[in-house]
Amino acid sequence: MSEQELITVKDLSVSFNGAPAVKNISLAIRAGRVLALVGESGSGKSVTARSLLGLSGGSVSAGELTICGRDALGLDDRAWQKIRGNSISMILQDALMALDPLRPVGREIADGLKDHGSLSKPEREQQVHEVLTSVGMPEPGLRAKQRSPELSGGMRQRALIAQALAGNPQVVIADEATTALDSALTALVLSQLRKLKEQGRGVLMISHDLAQVAHLADDIAVMRHGEIVEAGPAEQVLNHPQHDYTRKLLQAVPSGVPRFAPLSAAGAVPPPVLAPKIIAGPPALSANNLSKSFGKHAAVDAVSFELPRGKTLGIVGESGSGKTTTARMVLGLQKPDSGTVDLLGERFAPLAEGQRRKLREQMGAIYQNPLGSFDPRYSVGQLLADALSGGKTKRTAGYRNEVAGLLEQVELSTSLLPRSPRELSGGQRQRLAIARALAPRPSVLVLDEPVSALDVSIQATVLDLLDRIQRETGTSYLFISHDLSVIEHMSDTVAVMHQGKIIEQGDTASIFASPQQEYTRMLLSAMPRLR
Amino acid sequence: MSRTAKILSAIVIGLWLLMALAPSVLAPGDPLAINPVQAFQKPGAAHFFGTDESGRDIYTRVIHGASDSLSIGLAATALGMGLAIILGTVAALSPRWIDDIILRVLEALYAIPSLLMALLIIAFTGPGVGPAIVAVGLSTAPGYARLVRSQIRSLKNSEMLESATVLGRGSWLKVRNHLVPNALKPLLALVTLGIGQAVIWAAALSFLGLGAAPPAPEWGAMLSAGRTYLHLAWWMSLFPGLAIVAVAVSATLIGRALGGKVKSL
Repeated sequence: MSEQELITVKDLSVSFNGAPAVKNISLAIRAGRVLALVGESGSGKSVTARSLLGLSGGSVSAGELTICGRDALGLDDRAWQKIRGNSISMILQDALMALDPLRPVGREIADGLKDHGSLSKPEREQQVHEVLTSVGMPEPGLRAKQRSPELSGGMRQRALIAQALAGNPQVVIADEATTALDSALTALVLSQLRKLKEQGRGVLMISHDLAQVAHLADDIAVMRHGEIVEAGPAEQVLNHPQHDYTRKLLQAVPSGVPRFAPLSAAGAVPPPVLAPKIIAGPPALSANNLSKSFGKHAAVDAVSFELPRGKTLGIVGESGSGKTTTARMVLGLQKPDSGTVDLLGERFAPLAEGQRRKLREQMGAIYQNPLGSFDPRYSVGQLLADALSGGKTKRTAGYRNEVAGLLEQVELSTSLLPRSPRELSGGQRQRLAIARALAPRPSVLVLDEPVSALDVSIQATVLDLLDRIQRETGTSYLFISHDLSVIEHMSDTVAVMHQGKIIEQGDTASIFASPQQEYTRMLLSAMPRLR
Repeated sequence: MSRTAKILSAIVIGLWLLMALAPSVLAPGDPLAINPVQAFQKPGAAHFFGTDESGRDIYTRVIHGASDSLSIGLAATALGMGLAIILGTVAALSPRWIDDIILRVLEALYAIPSLLMALLIIAFTGPGVGPAIVAVGLSTAPGYARLVRSQIRSLKNSEMLESATVLGRGSWLKVRNHLVPNALKPLLALVTLGIGQAVIWAAALSFLGLGAAPPAPEWGAMLSAGRTYLHLAWWMSLFPGLAIVAVAVSATLIGRALGGKVKSL
C-alpha cells in the first residue's frame, strides 16, 4: 500500500470489568481510503471505534495504537482532547440527539474549531461559513444562526457532518451514520463521506449492513464476537468471501434476492417456492381516495390502492411521505378526512369503532418497536393468551396448545413463556409481535417498518419468517418501509409515496426495472445494492 | 428493592397484620377490662406499658387498637383511591368539556387542606369510626384522582393502547386490562405512603373526639384520654403515640422502597 497510514492498530483488546469486548484486532486506516467495519450489534465494532477516540470506557490494551504519527497508548484525558476533533473525529448517528436544540448550529460547529480560543469572532464565523459551505449547506450564513430544530433533516445531517469536520481532522469515523436515515438522507451522507475520501482523509465506516458500505468502502473488515473474522479489499470480501459469517451477512442483504428466496441460513434448505394460494373474492384490502390533513398540511392526499388476497403490497417512501398516516387510517386508528377503506369487501373506515370491532380480527398490525405495543406487565405467555382469548384472560392454562402452536409458527422456544418481553432480543420481540398478531388468524397484516430497527442478519430471519407464514396461511401483507431493498424482496406490487401522494404504483419488478417518475428514479439510484 | 428491604418490609407488614387480625396472640387480655385498684400503674413486669385511669392494661389496648387504627387507615385509603380511579379515569377518557368540569372540581377540592375538609365532612355526618373513614377517604381522593388522570392520559395515546385497539379490544377491556393497572403501578408507592398518612389523620380525628370514641382502644382516642393525666401518667399517651409513629414510619419506608422499585423499571 502506497497510501500513508493515518491510524495503525495492532492487537487491540478492550474489556469491561474483565469481560472482553474486543479481542486482539489489528487494522489500519489510510489516507484517501475508506475502511468499513461490519458486524452485528454487540460484535464490538462501536467499542473499537470509540477506543480510537479514547472513549471506550473499558480497559484498553494494544501492541500498537498510532494516531496520525502519534503514539496514543496510555494517553491521559487532556492529551486525548487534543487528538479528538483535530486528528480524528466522529459523525454521530442521530442528528436530532447530537445537536444541542438550544444553541445555534454555527456555535456548535465553532466549538470544534482548531485554535478556537485564539480566533477572533469574525475569523470564527468565517471558518464556520467555510466548513458549512464545504458540506454543501444551502445559505450557510443564515443556517449558522439557526438552531437544529429549525433545520430540515438534510440540513441537520449536513450540520452534524460539519461539526465533525470543524477541527479539520485527518480521520473521520462514521458510526452507523446512515442507519436510521431514509434513502435521500443516506445518499447525502454517503456522498459527503465520498467527498472526505477524495479530500485525502481517512474514513472509518461502521455498519451492520454490507450493502450500505459496498459502494464506498475500499477495504472491509468483518467483525464478530470482538474479533475480525475476515478483512481485505472490498472487491474481494464482497465477491469472494472466505468466512462463513461473511457469506451469511452477504446473503442477508435482501436487495435483488427474488421473492420467497431465503435470506438466512435457517432457510437455506427452503421448501419449494410456492405461490400463495389465491382465495377468490373481493380484495383483502382496498383504499379509495384516502386523505388526511393536519392543519394546513396535507399528510395524505387522495391515496388509493388495492391489496389482493395472499399478496404483498409494499409502500415505500421517505420519512414524512405519509406512509405511517396511511397505515393508521387503514388500521382505523385515525379517521380519514375523506375516502374509504374496505377490508375483505366490507366497509372498515370510516366507521364507528363498535361497528367494525368484529372485523378487527381480520387485520393485525406489526410495528417498528414491538416493545411499545406490549403491556409491560405481561409475560410472553400472557401476551399470547390475551390475544387468543380476545382479552378475556391472560392465563395460559386454557390455551396451552394454541400458545405453543403460535410460538412454533414464529420459531420461538416455549421456554420463553414466563419471560418478560423486555428480556428478549430485538428479533425475538418482533417474532413475538408477529405471533400475537397471528393469534386471531387475520387475513391482513399491516407491517409498519417491521424490520427497520433490526440488524441485517436478524432482519433476514424475520423476513424469511414472514415469507413462510404468507405461503402457509395466505395472509396478505401491507408492507411499509423506507428501505427499498426490503420492499423489493418482499412485495408483489409497490406503491411509491412522496409528499402524501402515491406517485407511482405497479408490479414490483417493472417499477424497479423501469421507474416512470423522476422521484422514483432518484430513490432507486440512492439504493445501496450488492447484486 | 434490596433483599434485606424486602424481608424487613414483609416482617413489618406481617407484624401489623397480626396485631390487627389476631391481637389476642400478642396480648391475650381484654382491652376493655377495668380494674380500678390497678389504676395508673407504671410500666413494669405486670403491665409492660402501665395502666390507665380505670386500670386497663395499656399494652393490651395498644395491640388491640391496631385493628381500629389500621382499618380506618386502609379503608380510608381504599375509598380515596377507589374514588380517584373512577374520577381520574372518567376525566382522562371523557370528551374535553367533561374532563374540564371534573378537573376544575378536583382543583377546587384540592385547594382545601385535607384535614380541614375531613372536619367539614364530619360536621355534617357526626363523629364515629364510619364517618372518620369517609372523611379521610373523601379528602384524599382529589389528590389521587389528579395523578390517576395524568397517568391514564399519557397511556391513552401509547402504542400499547393502539395495538389493543387493533386487536379489537373494546373500551372496557382496554380500561380494565391495560389502562388502570398500568396507571396504578407507579402510584403503589404513593398509596403506601398514603396509608401511613391516613392512619395519622384517623388518629387525629379520634384525638379530637370525632372518630372512634372512648373507651374503644383506638390510638388517637387513647392519646386524647391520656392528655388529661400527662403530668402523672406519661405512659398513657407515650405508647399509643409511639404506635402511631411506628405505623407512619414503616409505611413511609415501605413506600419509599416501592418507589425506588418503580423508578428502576
